[in-house]
Amino acid sequence: MTTTAQTNMSPPANTAASPLLELRNVTQVFSSGPIWKREHNYAVNDVSFSLTEKPALITAVAGESGSGKTTLGRIMLGFQRPTSGQVLFSGRDVTGMRGGERRQYRRQVQAIFQDPFSVYNPFYKIDHIFTVAIARFKLASSSDEARHLIEEAISGVGLRPSETLGRYPHQLSGGQRQRVMVARSLLLKPQVIIADEPVSMVDASLRATILETLRALNHELGIAILYITHDLTTAYQVADNIMIMYRGHVVEAGDVEHVINDPKHPYTRLLVQSIPMPDPSRRWADMQGINNPPFAGTDVTQHMCPFVNRCPDALAECAQDVPDTYGLDEHRISKCFLYQNAGTVPNADIAAYFNIRDASPSNVDAADNM
Amino acid sequence: MGEPEIEAEPVMAEPVLTIRDLRVYFNIRAGTVRAVDGVDLDIAEGEKLGLVGESGSGKTTTALAIMRMIKPPGEIAGGTISLDGRDLVELSEPEMRSVRGNDIAMVPQAAMNALNPVRRVRDQMLDGLRDHGVNESRNRMQDRLTTLMAQVGLNANVLDLFPHELSGGMKQRVTIAMAICHNPRLILADEPTSALDVVVQRQVMETLEDVRSEIGAAVILVGHDMGLMAQFADRIGVMYAGKLVELATVEQIFANPRHPYTRLLISSLPDTDGKKRLQGIPGLPPSLLAVPPGCPFMPRCPEAMDICGVEAPELIGDIDIVSCHLHTETRVA
Repeated sequence: MTTTAQTNMSPPANTAASPLLELRNVTQVFSSGPIWKREHNYAVNDVSFSLTEKPALITAVAGESGSGKTTLGRIMLGFQRPTSGQVLFSGRDVTGMRGGERRQYRRQVQAIFQDPFSVYNPFYKIDHIFTVAIARFKLASSSDEARHLIEEAISGVGLRPSETLGRYPHQLSGGQRQRVMVARSLLLKPQVIIADEPVSMVDASLRATILETLRALNHELGIAILYITHDLTTAYQVADNIMIMYRGHVVEAGDVEHVINDPKHPYTRLLVQSIPMPDPSRRWADMQGINNPPFAGTDVTQHMCPFVNRCPDALAECAQDVPDTYGLDEHRISKCFLYQNAGTVPNADIAAYFNIRDASPSNVDAADNM
Repeated sequence: MGEPEIEAEPVMAEPVLTIRDLRVYFNIRAGTVRAVDGVDLDIAEGEKLGLVGESGSGKTTTALAIMRMIKPPGEIAGGTISLDGRDLVELSEPEMRSVRGNDIAMVPQAAMNALNPVRRVRDQMLDGLRDHGVNESRNRMQDRLTTLMAQVGLNANVLDLFPHELSGGMKQRVTIAMAICHNPRLILADEPTSALDVVVQRQVMETLEDVRSEIGAAVILVGHDMGLMAQFADRIGVMYAGKLVELATVEQIFANPRHPYTRLLISSLPDTDGKKRLQGIPGLPPSLLAVPPGCPFMPRCPEAMDICGVEAPELIGDIDIVSCHLHTETRVA
């Protein structure tokens, strides 16, 4: 593997880039149960990172169900006010936004959801989701202009306007519906798209088309994308950076090539080893230690590494304290005591480990002969 | 032990299940939907067969037809499904009822919906045993359940829990335990892990493989995840628009796919060996209400020829089967 070009080693000049959408020490606690035995579930636990305008990147968030990745997306969309911490859009706290400023944030940060069936109101034609957005944000002054904008957006995702507009949601396939959602985002020309599992309910043959559309939006229009997924292979293909979440913690993050092909955190390793590779000669290898980790059965509290009870490499300190975030190299952080000699990265500096485009985008264009 | 010199060849053992010209039609107001239209399939003793295809290709309908669980307006319009020489299509409903569970078991797609939410796992499993005539002493039954739980890697105390107290992976293991409780000859698993994340998916698939090899059952794994198929299956059947278009060993399918649809399906798969341009398959599958004459894949096929629009290709081959005009000769294994 020589695809990771050494030019990534350049000092993180990108840190100067002003963050577009930034999370600062964001924590989201969901509480349940009666007050005398209240249970607190940390869906997002002290997460800091940012999406920048330049370079506009695709950042993947991966993890199992319940890892907090969807909550993270909802917080960034402003659907959910975090328990503590700040969400900043262009340097302004989104919770304090009102009126035009809030509308601007709503327009610039768009969402694409998992289920291309339930996002539509079945009583309205497809056109409805476009006309509402145009009216809301006053994008067009005449119906001709509106029509032109809609057709442009639909063509932009590889659909034919004549075969899409005027139809009802049930008349389109799942893949078409999901692409219409992408088209709606495109219409608003946002700066950020939060895509939460956009292809998990779409057939394999259409997945590639939708992901390729997202990649084109990022490369050609400079839209920053947060790609939330549990599928590491698609994350690897479309994203520049990746954050691996486990029980609300970002346990490993960095350049996607490094994280996937040389995972450091034991949880990331477990994830990568579990990918069902589409290659019968590379079947799942035996997972040593996974079935009887040293701290199996430990009741994990807020004062331990969240992965301690499943970790095959757990150390004594893992059950006593939460690890800090350590910087392993220029583009990799890991929240694991195995790397405590590497030096702690303060939350404020985590963004510097992101926002680096893999310096080998040429390989994207290289393999189009298939 | 057989002669060692034929070991290398994929010798077909005596088939457990033989399907010939299976047709499942849905008669709706708009016409007849040919969901499965002339499928031939042999499943050998202990074999793991993957059945792949996109939504609407007929893979799940084929599995349901084997269980004789096609509901109106659908019907098995023709063909035979022989299990050990007995044609399931001809069986009466009471006869079929004893085949289900005893001879053929199903691991359902959505384990969360397959279990009764208001009954403990133990009671649901006992129902399954008693329903098929197992009536032993209380202690013997308990021992059986404990053994089943151990076989799928669950602690016996799971028996006392309600389904909502179990994780997705645990629920799916419970359904596997239910499927194997009568030592079936054939297990039909319809996307058993589609709702699970990768680590749990792997654990569930390994559990399925462990119990399968223990009881020596054949498995038909239905799904669209080619990665999972590569990990699990011995042979893969690719379905398109209600027809089987290719059937070959998993190595053959991945290394040397012959049908253009299979080839496109495999090249659209993302992997982690360097970034590449992701390519989907343009176009949509035909409506099964009115399948055009000729090859159903022709409108999307990059290698379509004149004949493809006129004449439907035959399934050709013996152990490596393809239905495509590009391949007119049987490949010798």
